[in-house]
Amino acid sequence: MDTLYLIANTAFQALVMGFIYAALALGYNIVYRVSKAVNLAEPEIVVFTAYVVFVLSAYYHVPIPAAFTLSLALGFGVGVALERLLARPLRGRPVAALMAATLGAYYVLRGMSMVVSRGFEMGSLGLPETYYSIGPVRASLSDFIAICVSLSVIVGIVLMHRYTRLGIAMRAVSEDAFGASAYGLPVTVLTMLSWGIAGVVSAAAAFALAAKAQVSPMLDFYAIKALAASLLAGLDSIAGVVVGGLVLGFMEQFGSLALDPILPGLGNQLAFIVMLVVLLFKPYGLFGTERIERV
Amino acid sequence: MIGLAGQISLAQGALMGVGAYATVYLAEALHISILVAIPIAALFTAFVGVFLGLPSFRLKGYYLAMASIAAQMILEYMFSVIDPDQYTSVPENLKAFGVMQLSMFPMQYYVVLAYAILATLLAVNLGRSAIGRALKAVGDNDVAAEIVGINVVKVKAIAFGISGFYAGLAGGLYAFTVSGIDWTAFTLDTSIEYLAMVLIGGPGRIIWGSLLGAILIRTGWSLLETNLSDMLAALGMSVLASAPKYVVLGSIVIAFLVLEPEGLIGILRRVKEYFRLWPYSY
Repeated sequence: MDTLYLIANTAFQALVMGFIYAALALGYNIVYRVSKAVNLAEPEIVVFTAYVVFVLSAYYHVPIPAAFTLSLALGFGVGVALERLLARPLRGRPVAALMAATLGAYYVLRGMSMVVSRGFEMGSLGLPETYYSIGPVRASLSDFIAICVSLSVIVGIVLMHRYTRLGIAMRAVSEDAFGASAYGLPVTVLTMLSWGIAGVVSAAAAFALAAKAQVSPMLDFYAIKALAASLLAGLDSIAGVVVGGLVLGFMEQFGSLALDPILPGLGNQLAFIVMLVVLLFKPYGLFGTERIERV
Repeated sequence: MIGLAGQISLAQGALMGVGAYATVYLAEALHISILVAIPIAALFTAFVGVFLGLPSFRLKGYYLAMASIAAQMILEYMFSVIDPDQYTSVPENLKAFGVMQLSMFPMQYYVVLAYAILATLLAVNLGRSAIGRALKAVGDNDVAAEIVGINVVKVKAIAFGISGFYAGLAGGLYAFTVSGIDWTAFTLDTSIEYLAMVLIGGPGRIIWGSLLGAILIRTGWSLLETNLSDMLAALGMSVLASAPKYVVLGSIVIAFLVLEPEGLIGILRRVKEYFRLWPYSY
C-alpha cells in the first residue's frame, strides 16, 4: 500500500511539473518558430515576472489574480521589447548573434529582477494551503492552480494556432516569412506579436512555477531545464511540448526517486542528460521538422 | 573559438573548472610542481572539450549553444559533488619550480604573464596555419568546407580541443593564483561573462579583440563595483550591489551586437583608417 501511495503521488507531481515544463517549453518554441533562435532570456523573464507577482501581492497587497494579470501584461511588454530591440535589428545576421544578444537580455533582466525583488528576497506566494485527497493522491491547491494555468495556456495557444486568423498568419510567417510577406501579411508585426505571446506564456508559466515552488532566483533553473522538453518536442513544434514536458516531468520525478538515494541531486540533472542525448541522436526532436541546408 | 569556428560555447566556465581541479589533483597525486601540472591538465581539459563537442559534429550554431549549456550544468553538478565545501585547497608547497617559491606577489604575476603571452602567441599564429585556415572555412560554411576537401568532423574536434585547452589553461592559472578553489567561480554566469568579453572585444578572427574585451571588462568591473557598491551602501541599498553590474554588462553586450558587431577592434580599425586617410575622407 505504501508503494502504491508513493508511486501515485510521484506520478501526480510528475504530471504537475510536466505541464509546467510544457508551458515553459512553449515559450521557447513560439520564439523559435518566427526567429529561428532560442530565446535564452526566457529564464530571466520567468524570474522577473514571478517576482513582480510576489512583490505586488506581498508588499503592496494587490490581490493575486490582479497581480497575475499585470505580470502577463508585463511579460507581453518584455517580449515585444526584446523583439524590437534585439530580434529586428539583428535580422539577417547569424542566429548566433541573436542568441548572444538574448544572453545580454538575460543579464539585464536579472539585474532588473534583483532591483524589483530588493536583492532577491525569497518567499512563497501565500496561496491558501488547502489539501485534497483523491484516492491515494494528496494534492494541494497550488498543484491544481499550476496545472490549470499551464494547461489552459497550452490549449489556448494550440487552438489559436489552429483555428484563428492570427494563428494561421503566424503559422504562415514561421513557415516562410518571405512568402508570407508576398501575400501581404504584416510579417514584422506578426513577429513582434509572437515574441509578445511568448512573453505572456513565460509569465503564465512563471506563475504556475511560483505557485508550485518558492519564488526565488533559482526559478531560472527550471526554465533552463525546460529547454530539454523543448528540444525533445522539436524546437518548432507547438502541441509537441506537452509530450516533451510530460516525458521530462516523469523522467525527473521518478529518476529522482530512484537515483537520489545514490547521489543526492542527480535527478535534477537528468534534464541536461536528456538534452545531450536528444542533441546527439535526434537533434530535430520528436515532432520538429528537419532542416535541410543548401550551399 | 567563436571567431574561428563560428560557434557559441557556454561551457567555458565549467571547462575552466575542469582545468583548475585537474591541475590541483594532478599536482597533489604526482607531487609535481603546479607549473608542470598546468599544461597536462589543460591537455586533459582539451579531451573533455572534444567529448562535449560530440553533438556538434552533426549540428550547427545554436544547437551547440544548448549542448554546451547542458554540459555546463552537468559539470557544475559534478563539481558540487567532488567539492561540496566549495573549497579545495591548493597546497602552497606545490607552487614552486625547483627551489624557487612562486606563490609570492611579483613572481606569481610573472608566471601568469608568461603563460598568457605564450598562449596568445600560439593563438595569434594559429590563424595563419593550415588548421587555422580550415577552422575559418568551417566557420564560414561547413558544407562548402567539406566540398573543398576539409575533414569537417576532424576540424571541429580540433576546435573544441583547442578551446578546451585554453579554458583548462585558464583554470590551471586560476588554481595557481588562489589558495583554494571554489566551484562557484565556474558557473553559467562565468561562461556568459567570457562570451561577453569576446563579443565586446570583437568576435572576429583576431585574438587581440578578445584580449581587449577581457581587459576592459575586468577593469571596468572593478571600477564599477567599488564605486557603485559604495554609493548603494550609502543609500542603504547594499543588497542591490550586483544589480547594476548585470544591467550594465547586459546592455553593453546588446549594444555592441546591434550597433557594432565588429566589436572594439572594429572601432579601432576605423579610427586607424581615418587617420591614415586624413585629411581626406576617402
